[in-house]
Amino acid sequence: MSRTRELIAGLRRDLGEADPAPPAIHVERIPDPPVRVFPSPTDRPRVAHQAAAHTTALVGIGRVGTRYATSVVLQFQAELAVAHAAVAEVLPDSWAEENGLIGVTSRVTDHRQFLLRPDLGRRLDEPSLARLAEDDVPKDIDVQPILADGLSAVACMGAGVELLSAFSAACRERGFSVGAPLCAKFARVWLQDEIGAAVRAKVAVILLGERPGLGTGDGLSAYLVHGPQLGRTDGDRNMMSNIHERGVPPVEAASRLASLVAAMLEQGRSGVTLDLADVAGVESGLRPPQVRVPLVETGGDLA
Amino acid sequence: MSGILEPLLPTVLSVRRIPNAAAALLEAYGADPDKHVSLGLITCDQDDALYVALDEATKHAAVDVIFARSFYAGAGVASGPISGEILGVIAAADPDEIEEGLRVALRCLEHDACFYAADDAGATAVFPHVITSLGRYLSAEAGLSEGVPMAYLVAPPMEATIALDAALKAANVRAVKVFPPPSETNFAAAWLTGSLPDCEVAALAYAEAVVEVAREPKG
Repeated sequence: MSRTRELIAGLRRDLGEADPAPPAIHVERIPDPPVRVFPSPTDRPRVAHQAAAHTTALVGIGRVGTRYATSVVLQFQAELAVAHAAVAEVLPDSWAEENGLIGVTSRVTDHRQFLLRPDLGRRLDEPSLARLAEDDVPKDIDVQPILADGLSAVACMGAGVELLSAFSAACRERGFSVGAPLCAKFARVWLQDEIGAAVRAKVAVILLGERPGLGTGDGLSAYLVHGPQLGRTDGDRNMMSNIHERGVPPVEAASRLASLVAAMLEQGRSGVTLDLADVAGVESGLRPPQVRVPLVETGGDLA
Repeated sequence: MSGILEPLLPTVLSVRRIPNAAAALLEAYGADPDKHVSLGLITCDQDDALYVALDEATKHAAVDVIFARSFYAGAGVASGPISGEILGVIAAADPDEIEEGLRVALRCLEHDACFYAADDAGATAVFPHVITSLGRYLSAEAGLSEGVPMAYLVAPPMEATIALDAALKAANVRAVKVFPPPSETNFAAAWLTGSLPDCEVAALAYAEAVVEVAREPKG
């Protein structure tokens, strides 16, 4: 047999000989499904209104088809971006000094380590301990206020100084001795234990940027502990969150915090054992109706 | 009915010899009266198969291909029952060489050179032939040296165009001659050369592409 006939016979076998694969079946192009335009619901059900009135959480925001409305998604993404930016922000080293505060630092050395190692953020480094031991830092005091970056340096640099000075003033008004204004960098809440113990304060109060959430990249929280020392737990602490202009304004928060400090000094304890029944300005029961104020304006409607 | 790529064997329609041809005839058909005396003539229903067969003859006998022409529109509209689509004429100094040349050419037509069916009905024909070693006739036509390999590729116009592109891209070959449509028989052809394996790959790619176009003319 000739070479060409061998070659073509081989190709014929490859192509399926007398029973080749049938040619591809022609399929008409499937048309796109019709576009459904969903009107944005203008009227929310009454129950959604009532639920939304008691929280700034995203409830009763409706839907368009099976998904969120575009405006809701845009607003969500914008506010999430604010939260991401707040977490990534680092307190500048010189910030404390520029604002007349005494800067201290935890054992954390960089921002990534700060996020990954909460344990290091709860302990002071050696230079900071030595700084607190110096004579210009008052010891044996009633209240030691500490401003700190926490998880939002944005919040700390925003309303932090205002809250710190308002709180210190409120405590002095009540006749308490107030410690030096401290500013802790890379700080976790429990750092107040070591600082409070170092200055022998009866009550340590740390005011720090809280974990950013939707629309609250600038929120501050305050944690108070009576008899600060290493080993205190969260059960020993009282706290107030959402200290920002759309939540509890700093001035109002300062007076409430001072009331709490007064109760701690009077009862000699803090945390779950603290009796809050007669503490002025500390409300109990249902929260009053709230209005959600968007942190970022996108034209979205989450209210 | 035949299957895809089954050989469509050429039919030899006539074989005649002229032991001592008239001088005017020799001259008219392009022979050299000084060295050519005898003629051998073949008609066949596949022109390209016979071109290859005539070339094969020059490798085995002291014959020259003095005349080989395809007929217009091919074997389907032949002028007579034994016209086919080609008349090939070999010339030699004596009848014995003619006899040997004809024997080789007929053997080649029977066992080697042929078209192949490119569709199930056998309506599309492809000629993906690899000449392993060129003889004196086609090497002169192609402007190549004797003995080099050449892929001799023929198909209908559309198939041939698509397939030539595929063949040139499939292997390291170069186009020696491209015959765009229409030829006398309304086909299109190409002669490619390169190493023998490259010529074989090119011929296979050519055949496969013709089959593909025949399957999906509007693909």
